[in-house]
Amino acid sequence: MVFKKLINWARIKSPWIIHFNTGACNACDIEILATLAPRFDLERFGVLLKGSPRHADVLVCSGPVTLQTKDRLIRVYEQMAEPKFVVAVGTCACSGGVFNGCYGVKGGIDSVIPVSAYIPGCPARPEAIIDGIVKLLKSLKQ
Amino acid sequence: MVMTIFYILVFPGFLFLSAYGLAVEFVDRKLYARFQNRKGPPWFQPFADFVKLISKETIIPAEADRRMFKSLPVFAMTAVLTASLYIPVWSTQSLFPFEGDVIVILYLLTIPTLTFFLGGWHSSSLYSTLGSVRVLTQLFAYEVPLLMAILGPALLAGTWSLSGVSAFYAANPIYALVNIPGFVAAMIAAQGKLERVPFDIPEAETEIVAGAFTEYGGRLLALFRMTIDIEMVVVAALVSAIFIPLFSANPWLGFLFFVIKTLFVVFLLALFRSVMARLRIEQMVRFCWRVLTPLALVQILIDLIVKGFVQL
Repeated sequence: MVFKKLINWARIKSPWIIHFNTGACNACDIEILATLAPRFDLERFGVLLKGSPRHADVLVCSGPVTLQTKDRLIRVYEQMAEPKFVVAVGTCACSGGVFNGCYGVKGGIDSVIPVSAYIPGCPARPEAIIDGIVKLLKSLKQ
Repeated sequence: MVMTIFYILVFPGFLFLSAYGLAVEFVDRKLYARFQNRKGPPWFQPFADFVKLISKETIIPAEADRRMFKSLPVFAMTAVLTASLYIPVWSTQSLFPFEGDVIVILYLLTIPTLTFFLGGWHSSSLYSTLGSVRVLTQLFAYEVPLLMAILGPALLAGTWSLSGVSAFYAANPIYALVNIPGFVAAMIAAQGKLERVPFDIPEAETEIVAGAFTEYGGRLLALFRMTIDIEMVVVAALVSAIFIPLFSANPWLGFLFFVIKTLFVVFLLALFRSVMARLRIEQMVRFCWRVLTPLALVQILIDLIVKGFVQL
């Protein structure tokens, strides 16, 4: 019981993220990078950007899933170790946005892999991304 | 017997080193954040990272050599913990000193680097193979200047025992002034040994994902991270025991001095890390052989001349 509490506490305090562009126009990517840069400093919540999916807990996706990135997205998701969470950043990642129904687009992130948090916005502002991640971590408490 | 087990497991062995290693990682990250004008992580951050990694699923790639992949983190950790037995903590004497333990410490500190190489190699993934080859290339560049920078002060002290060297400089602190070039060389080489910016070429996350650690995750990665933290403590303690003559006969005061000295070395390492950018591998090798090794050689020359004058 105590151990479970400790482990849950550690998971909330140290979410390492990996950033994957599934076909975004780059606006959301710039905002995600701005969130990680010194001005907003996500490291104060324990968030670190990791290069390897094996190290990461949270997969931060931006953009609608194109047919080209669909297989890669599934592969990156499956390489991550449990427990893992997916955050969709931007309107396109949430639902496919204006690209929904386009010939090369599958749809939002949740049409391929399960998503834990949606952060809408075109592009989503750093404040919105921080808000979304904090809400995801709060939901882990229960 | 009981005391020996206490020394090895609790203080200054396993438990103390793990806790102090996590504390040192926090100090390093906090200083790094402050140098970048950020707020930085809270004090429990390395501990939370460690617990989280321990509780995560451990994935072993199908291509990897299972036995090697799983046992290498343990080897790495054992080697650094063994090295700590020959490091003086609360006085000039280490726990089990003998003539020649400086060389043994340096050998034991090489073993983690070799396990990083082997771990990356046995992961059989492209990025980890690239990273592990870079680990070895870098090893050949910084190992020689590090050894020679430590050889100089030991020559002046006339002993190969770390406790003897510390005792010599504790008795004659003025001689530490001639070792300043060696101190600079050793600090830069230590930055390479700990694989930190500007020598973090083996795990350059913007080029090769996470280098040798790409395929490691969960418990095994936690062990590797803990190894790097403890290695940082041991390297900081080694450098400070040789180059900073601040000792005390009182164990409590001596321990306080140990903490101050190692944190000072960590401060310098964090400063290097924040003001530098990553070099390319061939720039790093060229720098180490053309600048760092001659600097360490000059240090040996200075020490030999001073030793000649002292004996006159």
